[in-house]
Amino acid sequence: MKVIEIDNLKKTYSESEVEVHAVNGVTLDIEEGEFTAIVGPSGSGKTTLLNMIGGLDIPTSGEVIIGGSNMNHLNGSELTDFRKNNIGFVFQAYNLIPVLTAKENTEFVMKLQGKSKVECEKRSKELLESVGLGERINARPNKMSGGQQQRVAVARALASKPKFVLADEPTANLDSKSTETLLDIMEKLNKEENITFVFSTHDARVVKKARRVITLEDGKILSDVRKNGGE
Amino acid sequence: MNRLFKMAWRNIWRNRRRTLITAASIFFAVFFAIVMRSIQLGTYGHMISQSIEKFSGYLQLQNPEYFDEPSLDNFIENSDDIIKKLNATEGVKVAVPRIETFVLASSGHQSKGVLVTGIDPEQEMFVSNPEHMLAKYKLTPEIVEKLLTETNLEKKQIELLKFNENKLYHDLDRLALDLGLNPSDFEQYHGLLNKYASYSGEYLSKNDDGILVSSRLATFLRSTVGDTIVLLGQGRYGATAAGLFPIRGIVRVPSPDLDNKLVYMSLSRAQIFLDMPDMLTSIAMNLDDNDDMFDIQASINSTLDKEKYVVKNWEEINPTLKQQIDGDDKSGQMFLGILYFIIFFGIFGTVMMMIAERKREFGVLVAIGMRKSKLAIILVFEMLMVGFIGTVSGMLAALPLVYSFYVNPFHITGEMAKMYEDMGFEAVMPTAPVEGYFAIQGFIILLMVIVACIIPLQRIRKMKVMNALRS
Repeated sequence: MKVIEIDNLKKTYSESEVEVHAVNGVTLDIEEGEFTAIVGPSGSGKTTLLNMIGGLDIPTSGEVIIGGSNMNHLNGSELTDFRKNNIGFVFQAYNLIPVLTAKENTEFVMKLQGKSKVECEKRSKELLESVGLGERINARPNKMSGGQQQRVAVARALASKPKFVLADEPTANLDSKSTETLLDIMEKLNKEENITFVFSTHDARVVKKARRVITLEDGKILSDVRKNGGE
Repeated sequence: MNRLFKMAWRNIWRNRRRTLITAASIFFAVFFAIVMRSIQLGTYGHMISQSIEKFSGYLQLQNPEYFDEPSLDNFIENSDDIIKKLNATEGVKVAVPRIETFVLASSGHQSKGVLVTGIDPEQEMFVSNPEHMLAKYKLTPEIVEKLLTETNLEKKQIELLKFNENKLYHDLDRLALDLGLNPSDFEQYHGLLNKYASYSGEYLSKNDDGILVSSRLATFLRSTVGDTIVLLGQGRYGATAAGLFPIRGIVRVPSPDLDNKLVYMSLSRAQIFLDMPDMLTSIAMNLDDNDDMFDIQASINSTLDKEKYVVKNWEEINPTLKQQIDGDDKSGQMFLGILYFIIFFGIFGTVMMMIAERKREFGVLVAIGMRKSKLAIILVFEMLMVGFIGTVSGMLAALPLVYSFYVNPFHITGEMAKMYEDMGFEAVMPTAPVEGYFAIQGFIILLMVIVACIIPLQRIRKMKVMNALRS
């Protein structure tokens, strides 16, 4: 089943008199349960593409359809609600809310969804345990390592039971051990719970784990390779 | 809402120093605003109390012509019925008959225009209460010399003693205060004062032929109890009014202006002196609740024979005092406005700094699904909390100070006191009771916080998530 449908997506920045085509006519579909890496050199349009898929950036033209909803037809508040209910985000710089504990960060989106306290607590505990942070649920971000923070970010992204998770360079700030742990967790969640992951990355270790690798160059898809088994 | 409140509370302590500095600036603004406002309102209240409640009354019943032409020719009849009717009016505490006119007073080579006030000595106790103002002590040169030679006063107290020489006092507590002495330490001087500074004097009886003279006027006329002074003026319809009046007592009137010119006379004697049998110039009234003044005035006026009577309020009778208070009030409010204006920019700067510092975080919150309206609520909560901390602590700090000076007004001494008295004010600095003006400061801070949040909230509304995430 298609989770994301992208049709001839373009994003053009007009800075001074020069037009920059960050994304230039991308068309692709992402199926449920895929573990996809979008790769390419700096400036190839990976992050811009991811932002448009996530409804954070508005395309110049083209369409992004998620679960049958055309993102172009949603206004600001509708987009915010759509993201809350359908998309999980993992950022390069973790971006946890500094005044909340790991548990509270994980519960945050669920509470925005209006879920009950009991449900929030149960799921946040489960998720934090699944990312190996069952013992650190009451720690605030400033008391955790980068790797731990990124694992909390993954737990937060999954808490709202999204249709897919977008991860923008999730391992860029992590050491190799933390990267390995994080990737193992995400791969496990993908395989066991059929959660769809879409990464933008430079990291060869992420590419190695991905079962589908889309290579961008100058805003266009250079290659789209599906691997068998991921390894 | 509870979650947003919790987040806001934690957020304000992320930058503890900034929060404390902002709260401190609000604290000082509220503290000084309350203390200043309290002194202002207290001073106005005191001025009104001294000049209005304890002299002219809040309302006066007069002949309709008297207001424009305050002549004895424009009299009202001294009718028990009307006084009874006024006393029975709801909201009127007391109504007392008066005759007031200006005459020339003379004693020896000294003469001066004075305000003669004919009073019913018994009823007047409920308004200006001259008996309570009767001077019982005088710092005569003799007692000053005794105190200098026989006691161990400090240098500052000696200066104050010399400064207050010849002043009259109703009680020893006030005398101690003027000398900068604690009343409890002052007991050691009581013997000397009772022996050398006691001042005889008595209140007027119903048909007394004598008069009470205000203390500054008595000093000017170089007269004292037992002396006789000449009063010369014009009675009703231009008749000559002249007479010799023995001084029964000296009254120390709190208002320096009145203390320079006031002569109390019994009503019956004034009616003879001014050829006004069974006539009055006014009936002065005090009220149960002064806030009801205009309503009571209108109510009485509506029941009176408009040809014969009119009721005027103190603001009409004494427009100078009203203007003086209004003018000072406006300048005080302007000063407070400037103070709050400065504080406003402190709050505004803090909010702007907060959103600039946390732009990326705001972007993340919106990206993961928080509506901008909720983000705005958090920001407003944060500023309200800082405002609340500063305002409440400012109020709590001001409370004991204001209350303490309300119960024991600060008496100004020395040159400053002289300056106050020269300006016509009694040299005291009272504060107003703890009332609505406390709450107004909290309301102003609340308003400032809301206004200071308008531009930052607009920025949040217009925030582009991508730009925020990139910041």
